[in-house]
Amino acid sequence: MKPFVIGISGINAVDNPGPGIGVARSLKEDAALNARVIGLAYDAMEPGLYMDWVVDRSFILPYPSGDGEAYFDRLSFIRKQAGLEFVIPNLDAELPLYIKNARLIEERGIRTFLPTMEQFKLRGKDRLGEVAGRIGVKLPKTKVVTSLDQFCEAVEELGLPVMVKGSFYKAWAAYTTTQAIAHYHALVAEWGYPVIVQSIVTGDELNVIGVGDGEGKSLGAVGIKKISVTALGKIWTGVTVKQRAMLEAAERFTREFKWRGPFELECIVKGDDVFLIEINPRFPAWVYFATGVGVNLPSRLVRAALGEDLPPAPDYDAGKLFVRYSYELVTDMVKFQQAVTRGEVGMTHDAMPT
Amino acid sequence: MPHLAQLALSDEGFVFDPQTGDSFQVSEAGLFLLTAFKAGKSDEEAAALLAAEFDVSPEEARRDCTDFRGSLKNFGLA
Repeated sequence: MKPFVIGISGINAVDNPGPGIGVARSLKEDAALNARVIGLAYDAMEPGLYMDWVVDRSFILPYPSGDGEAYFDRLSFIRKQAGLEFVIPNLDAELPLYIKNARLIEERGIRTFLPTMEQFKLRGKDRLGEVAGRIGVKLPKTKVVTSLDQFCEAVEELGLPVMVKGSFYKAWAAYTTTQAIAHYHALVAEWGYPVIVQSIVTGDELNVIGVGDGEGKSLGAVGIKKISVTALGKIWTGVTVKQRAMLEAAERFTREFKWRGPFELECIVKGDDVFLIEINPRFPAWVYFATGVGVNLPSRLVRAALGEDLPPAPDYDAGKLFVRYSYELVTDMVKFQQAVTRGEVGMTHDAMPT
Repeated sequence: MPHLAQLALSDEGFVFDPQTGDSFQVSEAGLFLLTAFKAGKSDEEAAALLAAEFDVSPEEARRDCTDFRGSLKNFGLA
């Protein structure tokens, strides 16, 4: 059977890992899919370039900026060179470019399975209230501000401590007004307006990963609790949970918004109350956890995109443990040389120059 | 009680809450009481079973049972 060639970005399996390697491993575990994984990297130091048991061949891409012409030309080149048929972009910075140009990419013979731009915009923290209301969960008391005066009023009204958040990225806790104002200025300087001020809600930090088919049906979902995280807040150990209200909210999210593609909902759960904290419109870096408990979401996403009539999503057990670990590989310098000079790793006919 | 009924208990006294992902370690007596509560026994019935099983006075068993119930409440399990 001819391999199905899938491009995966986010193969930066570093201390703040991208989701790519988890997605690639998941696809490889579906033997019947016969996936040939093409790593799409932005730097010769991304570990996935060298993990040849997961990533069959890799290419360095230009950054996904501007109108994306150079980026899409590179994808076309990869299609010509390696038969690229499908791409799963896994990084936040790539998604707007892919979503805006979905048709252009398709015209070049490469398929994707992503949310629409309207769906993508729902991840904005200034839209979370609307989402929370429609999926039946709560939102911590939130104020969206566009000036320092409004910000100070919001902090006063909500009462300290508060979370100070950018619309899409960054979030800090502030315990004093001075600290809050410093975070406000830092956010405005880096990301602009609006700035979100939110009451701090305490409870269990639970997340759910899922994939929607774009027509209101869930292709599967798995809930987890992060038991320990790194200094960067990334999961190191976790456990599967079956928090009914959160899983029902994920189901409603796919149904209500006809969500297409992968997503992660970050929640805080206190008793029966579920508070929505963040929506990520992509696979999280811990995506392999779901695969490990029998819910292979990357594989189901690809199969759904190919028009397969999928059986209902499999169930999973609560109480399965996830442990991330560090590991090393040693390889030949020729691979690094290929990445730097040719922007490509995985050709079999190359040797180190003598 | 519905929450308590979902707890997973191991023979070694490891308790896992599938709703929250929290885990606990309980003593032999704690495991005995949790098993009784999960089976739908009232505090009084559980205390009587505890007194018989661990050879303690009914009064001591009732006190332990009340304390344990309080701990479960503190952890949001009952």
